[in-house]
Parts: sequence; C-alpha cells; structure tokens
Amino acid sequence: MGIRDIIEGKKHWRAHVARVKALPPDYRIVYGEIQKYFFKVGPVNLPDGRLLSGIVDFFEEGAAAGRPVLELVGHDVAAFCDDLIKDSPTYTDIYRASLGGEPGKTS
Amino acid sequence: MEDLTEMLKGTLEGCVLQIIGGEETYGYAITRRLNELGFTDVIEGTVYTILLRLERNGLVRVTKRPSEKGPPRKFYALNDAGREELARFWAKWEYLSSRIDKLKEGGR
Amino acid sequence: MNFWETVTGSDLTRAWKAFEARAKALPAGHRAAWERIKAHLLPRSGFTGRDLLPVLDGVLGLLEETAADGQGVDEVLGDDIAGFCAALAGGEGLRDYRDRWREQLNSNVARKLSRLGG
Repeated sequence: MGIRDIIEGKKHWRAHVARVKALPPDYRIVYGEIQKYFFKVGPVNLPDGRLLSGIVDFFEEGAAAGRPVLELVGHDVAAFCDDLIKDSPTYTDIYRASLGGEPGKTS
Repeated sequence: MEDLTEMLKGTLEGCVLQIIGGEETYGYAITRRLNELGFTDVIEGTVYTILLRLERNGLVRVTKRPSEKGPPRKFYALNDAGREELARFWAKWEYLSSRIDKLKEGGR
Repeated sequence: MNFWETVTGSDLTRAWKAFEARAKALPAGHRAAWERIKAHLLPRSGFTGRDLLPVLDGVLGLLEETAADGQGVDEVLGDDIAGFCAALAGGEGLRDYRDRWREQLNSNVARKLSRLGG
C-alpha cells in the first residue's frame, strides 16, 4: 500500500489519474514530475489528496485557456513545488522528531 | 522592471489581498493585473501558491463558478479576517516605506 | 492529525508485507540498495516501525521511479547508502538530496518537454 493507494481510497486515486490523463501532453509531463518530487520529499499534507488534486484543478484551467504549462508554473518547477509545501513538514521531519534527536543532527 | 522578485516576495501577498479586496476575482485575472501594473515577472503559479495559502489561513471566501470554456473557475473574495489582514499589511507597509524614505533623505 | 496515526497494528504488518512485495519487483541493484537501507534504518531506535513507514514508503517510491526511468541506483543514491540513511534519519545530508531531487525535477521537465517538440 503505497501513498497512491491510500490517498482517499483507490477509487478516488483512479479518478484522479483519469483527470491527469485528460490533460494536454506538456501538462501531463510536468504534473508527473511534480508528483514524483512530492513522493520523494514526502510532505505530510500529501495524503489528504488536496495538494495533488488542487494542482490538477489549476492545470485544467490553464489548459482550457490554451496556455503552455511553463507559462503557468515558470521554468523553475521545483521552486513552484517548494512554495506549495512551504508550511508543511515532511515525513522525515516527523521521523526525526520521533527519534527525539535535535533537528539536523545525527542522534 | 527586472529582478524585482526577491524584493517583491514579502509584499506580493499583500498586493494579492488588495486586488481581491477590490472585487471578487480569480487567479489568472490577478496575475494579469499584477503584470499590467509592471510586475512582469509574476507568473500564475506564484499567484496560485499565494491563493492557496490565503485559503488555508482562512482569509478568503472561495466560490466555484462555471466559465465559458473549461472547468469551473475558483473566485476569491476577502472575508472579515482577510480585510483585517489587509489593513495590517498597509500599516506595515507605511511604516516600512516611511522609514526607508527617511533613510534615503539622510534623516535619522 | 497525522494520517499515519490511523494505521492500526494489523495494518502495520500488512504494510510491511506490501513493502516487501514491492521491493521484490525491483531490479537486483535497487533491491540490494533497499535491503541495505532497511538494515541501516531499522536499528536506529526501538520503536514499532510506524514512524518509519512513510519514510520507507518514500524510499521505495524513489527506487521504483528511478528503476522505471532506467536510472542506475548509484546515480540516485551515490555509493554512500549509509550517508543517505543518516540524512533521512536526521543527519546533515538531507539538504543535498533535496537539492538533487530539485535539479532532477527541473532537468526532467526540460528534457521531456523538448522531446515533445515544444
């Protein structure tokens, strides 16, 4: 059971994937890379599903207006992502806290 | 003007609040308004992250409305907390700009 | 509330089994890295494993994605798996990995979009 399977249940996930597939190719590529990045970084607001579905909402609007994806998010896609999860700790942060170590220090 | 990004960072949220305070509006229109104002480097993605934060912090009222083409659009309007936040922003801005003007004029 | 707190004890066992099933599907090099990462992370504390689940899920996801992209495990983790684990568990190195992922994101987007011809 990866994060994929748990996000609001498999049914929701499949519906989400279908929406992504309906996006134009350039949007689909950027969405795929963003999702990969979030899975690695592991922000805790990821499993509530709204982070990813919000991005699809945003992308659908841009695609409907016929605009290229990089015009929307800019060339520094990573900066866009980091901005989105700025207020959210990552799973690694929580794991570290559970070990009782100081943040940023090996215990 | 170019290279404003760093300097603009802390104030962009206030600018967005001000625009929303004028009338209920949506992300792309906010971006265009900022671009027309001369902040040409501001992209929609940046505005999107700001709107998301405003929503999470309970400063805006969000309404989905159908658009002519494509999916429904999210429209944003200020609520009471948003209006208070906007007033705080302008108070801070006036403090900051008056001090910086003073510095420039060589006063103490 | 943390989502992972809702995972119950029996789910924990199931989660471990699911992890192992996913690991089995990895290419040999990636699977070996998975074994070493587990060996490094598990003795780090006496806890049940619940806190470690999301971290391991992320690591598995990373291995799966890179295997699917045809990237060698060395390209992703370098040859310093111990360093990678220390970074995950609270060492200084995490920032470097985050930077690397950031660069990967932007360069993948640039490469794939140019292949699209736009």
